[in-house]
Amino acid sequence: MTKLLDKPLKAFTIYALIVLLCSIPAYFLIIDLIWVYQVNEHNQVVSRTTKKNISALKLDDAGLDSAIRLWNRLQPETNIRPAGSLKADSTYNVYRHDADQHIGTYDRFQGLVTYFELNGKPYSLTVESNVEESYETIIAIALITIVFFIILLVGFIRLNKRISKKLWKPFYQTLDQIKTFDLNSHKAIDFEENNIAEFEELNSSINKLIRSNVAVFHQQKEFTENASHELQTPLAIMQSKLDLLMQDPSLTSDQSYIIEELNYAMSRVSRINKNLLLLAKIENQQFADLEEIRITDMIGEILELLSNLFEAKTIHFRCDSEPSLKGNRMLVEIMLNNLLMNALRHTDADAEVDILLSDSELIISNKGLAALDADRLFRRFSVASSQTPGSGLGLSIVKEICNRYQWTVRYEFADHHHRFIIRF
Amino acid sequence: MKVLIIEDEAELAKSMVSYLSGQSYLCELAVDYHQAMEKIGSYQYDCILLDLMLPGGSGMMILDELKAQQKEDGVIIISAKNSLEDKIKGLELGADDYLAKPFHLSELSARMFSVIRRKNFANSNVITQGNLKVDLLAKSVEVSGETVLLTKKEFDLLVFFIGNKNKVISKSALAEHLSGDLADMLDNHDFIYAHIKNLKKKLSESGSGNYLKTLYGNGYKWEV
Repeated sequence: MTKLLDKPLKAFTIYALIVLLCSIPAYFLIIDLIWVYQVNEHNQVVSRTTKKNISALKLDDAGLDSAIRLWNRLQPETNIRPAGSLKADSTYNVYRHDADQHIGTYDRFQGLVTYFELNGKPYSLTVESNVEESYETIIAIALITIVFFIILLVGFIRLNKRISKKLWKPFYQTLDQIKTFDLNSHKAIDFEENNIAEFEELNSSINKLIRSNVAVFHQQKEFTENASHELQTPLAIMQSKLDLLMQDPSLTSDQSYIIEELNYAMSRVSRINKNLLLLAKIENQQFADLEEIRITDMIGEILELLSNLFEAKTIHFRCDSEPSLKGNRMLVEIMLNNLLMNALRHTDADAEVDILLSDSELIISNKGLAALDADRLFRRFSVASSQTPGSGLGLSIVKEICNRYQWTVRYEFADHHHRFIIRF
Repeated sequence: MKVLIIEDEAELAKSMVSYLSGQSYLCELAVDYHQAMEKIGSYQYDCILLDLMLPGGSGMMILDELKAQQKEDGVIIISAKNSLEDKIKGLELGADDYLAKPFHLSELSARMFSVIRRKNFANSNVITQGNLKVDLLAKSVEVSGETVLLTKKEFDLLVFFIGNKNKVISKSALAEHLSGDLADMLDNHDFIYAHIKNLKKKLSESGSGNYLKTLYGNGYKWEV
């Protein structure tokens, strides 16, 4: 793609080239015209003076004859000859070898033929002057034009660079700022002031656009947070009523079964709500405190807890180094919990889960039959189904926490193993 | 034992009163900040259940007041916010526990049980039931003078049951109690079977009465 600034440069260059090319014949014609005109004038002056001087000699025919011969010999550029009759003056232009020059070079001559009477006899006087040859003129003009074109081109490029650098600086600054803008970072863009009306307008328009976007984004997140909050109390009421209902001694076993189902559904709703709230809080940057976390120890603690829940499953934990990370303890714990629980839940009863920790990476892998849809995996509610009783938010939370600390999380499927990789 | 429930949500308060009244608790209710302050000023409670968001003032201010009056009441914060800052601040201000909404009434009851025991540790750190003796502080269990070795989880479960005598406790409540936030992610709550089975086995093998009843396969009850 062409850069914005190169476009006018190209156009200018082509235009300058055309103008300069057109100027070559124009210059040539004008210069040639001036030459010829000037030379004609000169010829006329010469012929006038010659005629006057020769008439003033008042020679007889024989004297005249020898005088003319002598004249013609001394002044090769003029030639007096007897003519048949008196005619009007005429001019001509001719190329020929100059007698004194080397053979092979042509010279251009502008000639004037005038007629006059001497002693009652008509004579013709031819005056010739050497004129600059046309092709030499053209070459000279073309050379000069090319030189000027090159000067123009270099000037254009230099000027363009200099001017554009200064002129478009605010534009590129704005561009850079927009590029680095992140809706999630909660930082508005501060455009530097400049004194160019268009850029000011651009910046203020972008500012307006961003502000309204940020506002909408905030509202949406606040809405999620508020909605989740508002749901907590009715959920608490429902839960408490269910707990009370369970106490009724007259319940039949069918009814108890229904209540247990309700309980199960209730905990699912509560957990979705809790996770939504957590997501909203992470997005709203509510877990600000950073501390040094020894990830090896934290995984160890989590595994101790998990081994109680999944006694049949084997967990291999290998750490090649003991990295410590900066983050919010609670968030990092949630992230690890979610990933480990995920792996354990989706592993067959007697299968293994491998955890590999190195300086820059944490890899959690477990056996699987087919690859999961990596694009949808980290999206909210995209994997929730009746088969997976999770909230459908676990991996979104992992991703959100990773985003928060500029870590990356990705999913791979190889050798019949699901692999979640976090790069710190 | 006297309990003050400070909760503006009438239905929730009613449920709590209803559940706790069957547990030899005497419940009083305050529905807003002023009522709560009045009651705190005039009476002594064994446990106060405190909602942080109240009409007329914040629950934190009530905590401040309790601290200022040097009251020894046990306080459990019940909040819809579940925020770490609130939790830390509340505990710093002298609350004994923090429970996020929604919660199981059995969980509430178990926490109240622990808070109250902790507060009056002079007389009630050992619970005796028949030949079963549970020492809450030492975390030890004896049946007819013989020590029964329980795992941490089993002991936890036992205390939970004792704190919910004669109440039907759902599997979800037990699962959440045992695994905390992790219960969220469990496909099923089967892992509690194992713990309960072991607990029952250990108690019956050592000659304790069978207090722990399984009901229709979906709940449990500590019958006394």
